[in-house]
Amino acid sequence: MLNVKRNGLVFSVMVVGIALLLWAGWHNLRERRKAMQRAQENHVVLQKDGDAVSTDMYKPKLVGKQAPGFTLMTLDGKKVSMSDFKGRPVLVNFWGTYCGPCKVEMPWLEEFRTKYAADKLEVLGLVYDVEIGNETIGKEVKKLGVTYPILLTDPKVQAVYLSDSEVLPMSFYVNKNGVVVEETAGIGGKDEIEAHIKKTIASGAAPTAGGQ
Amino acid sequence: MLPASQVANAQQVGNLDTPAPKPKSFVVYAAEQQNVAAEKRSVLELHFRVADGFHVNSHTPKSELLIPTQITLQPAAGVKAEAVQYPAGTSYSFSFDPTEKLDVYSGAFTVKLPVVADAGTHTVDGTLRYQACDHAACYPPRSLPIQVIFTAQ
Repeated sequence: MLNVKRNGLVFSVMVVGIALLLWAGWHNLRERRKAMQRAQENHVVLQKDGDAVSTDMYKPKLVGKQAPGFTLMTLDGKKVSMSDFKGRPVLVNFWGTYCGPCKVEMPWLEEFRTKYAADKLEVLGLVYDVEIGNETIGKEVKKLGVTYPILLTDPKVQAVYLSDSEVLPMSFYVNKNGVVVEETAGIGGKDEIEAHIKKTIASGAAPTAGGQ
Repeated sequence: MLPASQVANAQQVGNLDTPAPKPKSFVVYAAEQQNVAAEKRSVLELHFRVADGFHVNSHTPKSELLIPTQITLQPAAGVKAEAVQYPAGTSYSFSFDPTEKLDVYSGAFTVKLPVVADAGTHTVDGTLRYQACDHAACYPPRSLPIQVIFTAQ
């Protein structure tokens, strides 16, 4: 009789134990699924056409339009405005200290500025990552041998010129009438840059000829 | 470089009048449920993929001005995490400057995270900071939120 009672008790404990194990397993599985679901919700998913936009997909926005005006500070604290270069062809070049391609083309731009000085070409280097500090920017500029004005961008000029692209380098070729003739994203060949400069210089005839 | 005369049929969003869209991503994180032994040193794997046509600087780029790929993790209860182990990068040169060798990640790359964890399911929150370029241009640094989820048993 005692044995029967004991067996019954052992059986009951076993049933409860198995039930607890099953519940714990189910609960654990449920928690893991929930956690994975939370992680999946947090994922950033690449979309071919909407997310990472390469230079090959860049669409010019300012060509044919008047170049937006700006007044920015140089590394040594002087104010420079787009309007200061009225009547001159200007190459507005956005660059960043972290951008390798930018630093390859900047010496080319310096060279073209000298080559086309008789045409009054000006190059403006608008640095994007201003937060890195004037000292670091200055060191990079010196290393690159660049002497054209380096201007510190602000969110406003970034928004107006770069919009949502954030591609560097970005170049805007502005003719003497202040109209954007070419707009390029990313680095191209040196010859290509020179061709754009020639086109910009030729564009925007003297006011007596009616201009562009 | 893309002159105006060769405008691609891109799904470029926004114009000067529209608000800035959410930041674009060049790296995706593939979260996977992982199981490790409780209270024993185990190594978790964090799988990432760089979008086709892009590369990011490795954890050890060759210039101090280049922004390294770096993971920052938040402390999590019951998890002791050691220093993150980054893979070696591969050599890369832009076609217009073949002499300069960069150290980059492209395609899939895996970061390892050694941990000792108490029994149970854990979530470690963190951020992957990286800076991407393609064959002709570079993009501002980005931060990708990540969650490392694993069960120690």
